Amino acid sequence: MAITAATAALATSGPSPQRRAGPGPWFALTPMLGWLLLFVIVPTLMLIVVSFSERDALGRVVYSFNFENYIRAFDWKWLKILGISVWYAFLTTVICLILGYPVAYFIGRSSERVRGLLIMLVMIPFWTSFLIRTYAWISILAQEGLLNALLMTLNITSAPIGFMYTPFAVVLGLVYNFLPFMILPIYTSVEKLDGSLIEAAYDLGARPARVFGQIVLPLTKPGIAAGILLVFVPAIAMFAITTLMGGGANPTIGEVIQNQFTKARNQPFGAALGVLLLAIFLFSLWLSTKFRRGEED
Amino acid sequence: MKKHQNTLIAAACAGAMLLAGCGKKDDTLKLFCWSEYVPQAVIDKFTEETGIKVSVENYASNEEMLAKLLAGGGAYDLIQPSEYTIQAMTKEGLLQELDQEKIPNLKNLAPEFRNMPFDPGNKYSIPWMAGFVGIVYNAETVTTPVVGFSDVFKPEHAGRIVVLDDSREIVSWALATAGIPVNDVSDQNLATITPMLKDWLSKVKVYDSDSPKTAMSNGDTDLGVVWSGEGALLFAENPKFQWVMPAEGVHMFVDNLAIPKTSQNKDKAEAFMNFILRPDISKMISDDFPYYNPNAEGRKLLSAEQLNNPASYPPGFDVTKAELFTDIGEQASKVDELITTIKVQ
Repeated sequence: MAITAATAALATSGPSPQRRAGPGPWFALTPMLGWLLLFVIVPTLMLIVVSFSERDALGRVVYSFNFENYIRAFDWKWLKILGISVWYAFLTTVICLILGYPVAYFIGRSSERVRGLLIMLVMIPFWTSFLIRTYAWISILAQEGLLNALLMTLNITSAPIGFMYTPFAVVLGLVYNFLPFMILPIYTSVEKLDGSLIEAAYDLGARPARVFGQIVLPLTKPGIAAGILLVFVPAIAMFAITTLMGGGANPTIGEVIQNQFTKARNQPFGAALGVLLLAIFLFSLWLSTKFRRGEED
Repeated sequence: MKKHQNTLIAAACAGAMLLAGCGKKDDTLKLFCWSEYVPQAVIDKFTEETGIKVSVENYASNEEMLAKLLAGGGAYDLIQPSEYTIQAMTKEGLLQELDQEKIPNLKNLAPEFRNMPFDPGNKYSIPWMAGFVGIVYNAETVTTPVVGFSDVFKPEHAGRIVVLDDSREIVSWALATAGIPVNDVSDQNLATITPMLKDWLSKVKVYDSDSPKTAMSNGDTDLGVVWSGEGALLFAENPKFQWVMPAEGVHMFVDNLAIPKTSQNKDKAEAFMNFILRPDISKMISDDFPYYNPNAEGRKLLSAEQLNNPASYPPGFDVTKAELFTDIGEQASKVDELITTIKVQ
């Protein structure tokens, strides 16, 4: 949530006001600050406290202070799982950017009436639970599913292809679910693009590639940064899609953390892995901020 | 920490009260049960007959239930733990003793499901449903005979196998195959079965505890080690899905209803227990979830088709011979780590 708020700020920041704010705005902020305190700061502190604790035979947290969980977390197998999760998230982000940027650009440069309609079309799948949409993919990709039936009817393949329970299925599921998170912030940036700058560039004799590289891309950078963050960060920790589409043979870090709470009776270790994940998120946020700052200088 | 948590909960409740006007004495029966295990029709009928409102919350594993119950988040009146969890909870004094006079329908239970080792005399729990973990295979694609775990994990089946995503279960199959009692999960025994597990898991395509039948009926796998209820549903869908009770040994699970210490609605919880032990209600449960019904009177109402489903009621199998899990406490974490380690190798 904090990350979402921060990225929203990244995507829409304009010139900062010169006048110092009075008490009024602070009062208006109270509900948001209360929300942040209750649902972001307090749970995060609880997570950190639990991560240094132990647990008893029934899985109850026994509050103490030791580094056991962190020592255990830095074992090759957990790091390998983390590495695989980061790799999936990276692939997802790159594919979402390649697919999402042209779509966002097209929508952002359309007439106002069409724009609303197109954004609506991007949003409509979100009215259905992502679990249902993931199950829909399973019935499409299954060995006796729709896609294989189509391929075999058209004689493109003679035997069914095993699409399901592969890294391909995992990344497909992730891209499908996260694509709108890439499109929307880039669209916001594109929408604010000043068309006269592009015209000016053409008038000065720039070719389309140069206009894109020197005018359009730098001006939509805030949207790209926000989109990358909104896709990359949640994709690392996602567990439902990766379990359903991947079959669980290559567990992701999200699945491992979930296991600590639901099966292994080891909340402190799950919390320690969660804190490490949080550290990675903060690092990505810092990188993204730096990326944007570099642009302003 | 606990104290702070309570303050927080109080604050949250104060907020919720403003919104919803909670705070008046709550007389609904709060049922905390497995997802996909209690038919809505049974709950509706209970409310219709007794006027007692029921609220339902779901969990997906015994450990999840324990974690939520022990954190003190919700005041649950009725929970649905498996046998080893009943054992662990009674040891810690977390369950209320039942007043058996309020549950006369206990008499409907088959004798082998009364007085089970995890709860002698049904002092704290009544069985809901029992089931087995066994092998299901697609007889159209698997032509060699399958009688036990070692037939499932053969080289020719590599990449065509679905198993439960449950570390304790997987470990128990290897222990049984090695001739070790399934509850003896000492470090030494885990080391003994590690090579076997490495070989087995390298051949597994899908891990799924929630709906392993999906991979089977979609044709993505040919063999599975799954819950008997899933096997029964597959058999009912198409008899090509054959059920086998593993030759190395069969694990039986018994899920139960019990009342946590913190419940304020013991009478209503016992009324619900008595209700589900009625033969006609027991049949309703079997209709939706074709596991092994411990209710002998209820079983009499089932159709021949239901009783002849080999996964629900394995012919010629003596349920008293099946292995029951006992609580393994902190070893659960080691068992989970072992399986995770092998998965990522």
